[in-house]
Amino acid sequence: MGAVSVLKARPARPPSLPGNTRPAKQRAGRTPTGPGRRRQRAGMLMVAPALLHAALWIGLPVVASVFLAFTKYDVLTPPQFVGLDNFKEMLDDAVFRKSIVNTVKSIVNTVIYTFFTVPFGMMLGLLLALALHTGLKARGIFRTAIFLPQVTATVAIALVWLWIYNPNNGLLNALLSFVGIDGPAWLSSTTWALPSVILVGVWQGIGMKMLIYLAALQSLPRELYEAASVDGASKARQFFSITLPLLKPATFFVLITSMITAFQAFDQIYILTEGGPANSTTMMTYEIYKSAFREFRVGYASAQSLVLFVLLMGFTLVNRRIMGGTRGHN
Amino acid sequence: MATTELHKPGVGHTSRPVAQRKPLTVGRIALYVTLSVISLLMVVPFVWMVLTSLKTPVEIASQDAGLLPEHWDFSNYSEALTAAPFATYARNSFIIATSHTLLNLVFASMAGYALARIRFRGSEVIFYLFIAALMIPTYTKVLPEFLIVRFMPLAGGNDLFGQGGSGWLDTWWALIVPGAVTPFAVFLFRQFYLDLPVELEEAARLDGLGEFRIYARIMTPQVKPALITVTLLTFESSWNNFLWPLLVTRTDSLRVIQVGLSVFKTENGPQWHFLMAGTTLATLPMVILFLIGQRYFVQGFATAGLK
Repeated sequence: MGAVSVLKARPARPPSLPGNTRPAKQRAGRTPTGPGRRRQRAGMLMVAPALLHAALWIGLPVVASVFLAFTKYDVLTPPQFVGLDNFKEMLDDAVFRKSIVNTVKSIVNTVIYTFFTVPFGMMLGLLLALALHTGLKARGIFRTAIFLPQVTATVAIALVWLWIYNPNNGLLNALLSFVGIDGPAWLSSTTWALPSVILVGVWQGIGMKMLIYLAALQSLPRELYEAASVDGASKARQFFSITLPLLKPATFFVLITSMITAFQAFDQIYILTEGGPANSTTMMTYEIYKSAFREFRVGYASAQSLVLFVLLMGFTLVNRRIMGGTRGHN
Repeated sequence: MATTELHKPGVGHTSRPVAQRKPLTVGRIALYVTLSVISLLMVVPFVWMVLTSLKTPVEIASQDAGLLPEHWDFSNYSEALTAAPFATYARNSFIIATSHTLLNLVFASMAGYALARIRFRGSEVIFYLFIAALMIPTYTKVLPEFLIVRFMPLAGGNDLFGQGGSGWLDTWWALIVPGAVTPFAVFLFRQFYLDLPVELEEAARLDGLGEFRIYARIMTPQVKPALITVTLLTFESSWNNFLWPLLVTRTDSLRVIQVGLSVFKTENGPQWHFLMAGTTLATLPMVILFLIGQRYFVQGFATAGLK
């Protein structure tokens, strides 16, 4: 009911229309004279606090981050320019295992984590959205249950899962022992730790994916399906020829936001495994944290965060290409 | 099977009569069962958390204890509050989340309004800058943000060049100021203000109202759903935030609930009965908030996703 009210609130314009900014443009420039200038000034004044805030807390950090990536910096003494040394060292880390930081392993883990949580979670989210879109009774209860992990803190959730995964008295092994299986020590096994972390990620993330798909489904034009039914198209055919293509913008949006979230998995790693055992669950964000706040190598950490950013941008652009230039959100 | 009713009218408000007309076929029963199982899987960890919080340590440690606590005992909660200052942590989280919410309501709505309804020089560029800011991963900016806090001039014993002291580290400033305006809130407000009719502001302008009055008195009361949505989403993300408070606070008295939980786990080992009581306290406000304002949560995420 909630997602529908989004549409109810704006009867004038179906959300699938790209013309979001049109009314603003029409209004603008209508009064270029005296009162218009006063309006302009008011607009600037209104946007100024937010803009200054963003300049200081987002703009400056991004610029500084790029700069620091090419320096050696321990916070106590001024940064020294070292060229590409930080990036070279990341590659060396993989070969010589000199520091406690292991960038390459963390990149591999992050990609694996993303690869499993995102497409798998999206598929589940879409299936659930389709199921909930059928007008079931008690739809609201199902939706609430599925979305619940999304609104609760990852730290709290990770602590609960830490307890569920507990090898001795945890819920998972207790349940497994009912069917005669002797469960492993999930989080301290190099085989099981990463899958266990992935499971938590999927579990927490499904709700959001389902919700966005559900809202998108509810905005699809009914007439298309009626016409397709008249033409004798099967339900499966309707799904693949109408629903899936029309869901493209939603799919693109879910994909991008989920990837940004997955790439930045930190809280659950911090609580569940601290990157272990033997770096088998370490992620890029966790390595950035270690370099900066355990080893106080801010330059190196900045280089790592730059790699994270570039990888994310790369994936986003590739996805945009694959999805055929679909408009995302704006 | 799930797609069978895509074309059915009235998935929203008129859904009840539609649902009643449906015959209970095998497929539908299977759908109900599947959804019930999945919903159960989503809720079980929360149930397990609450059940554990009511058990005694002996019960938790014993191999053959049942899933339910032997007797429902709430003393873990009062004892957890004495074992660690969870009440202080929760209060801190509440203060920060409330501040973030209020600041965003004022500044983000103002910016969102201006970007939606007033065309001024550079307004389009500024809008795209906010969109770009929305896409920047936290980890790209968190280190320099920490440095800005650390070297904040003339704060915490720092001189004009940010040297000599600890800046804003371990202060309320560090906890509150960086999250005072989020690009997400600006974006969300803009989307809502865009939909208001032009006639509304033109009538107000003919009545001689200034631009700030039109924004505050005429237009903003029309976007109550946006205000509620931003309130809920800002409060939620602020309450749940972990990394930033972890980085900028050291002292116990400034710790937020999520950091408090992780520190309690590290320093005292996993005392599950206390930890689960603590996580229940940390999760409960958000669950209640979500259950009350579910409509707006959904609306907020859907708006961000679909526009």
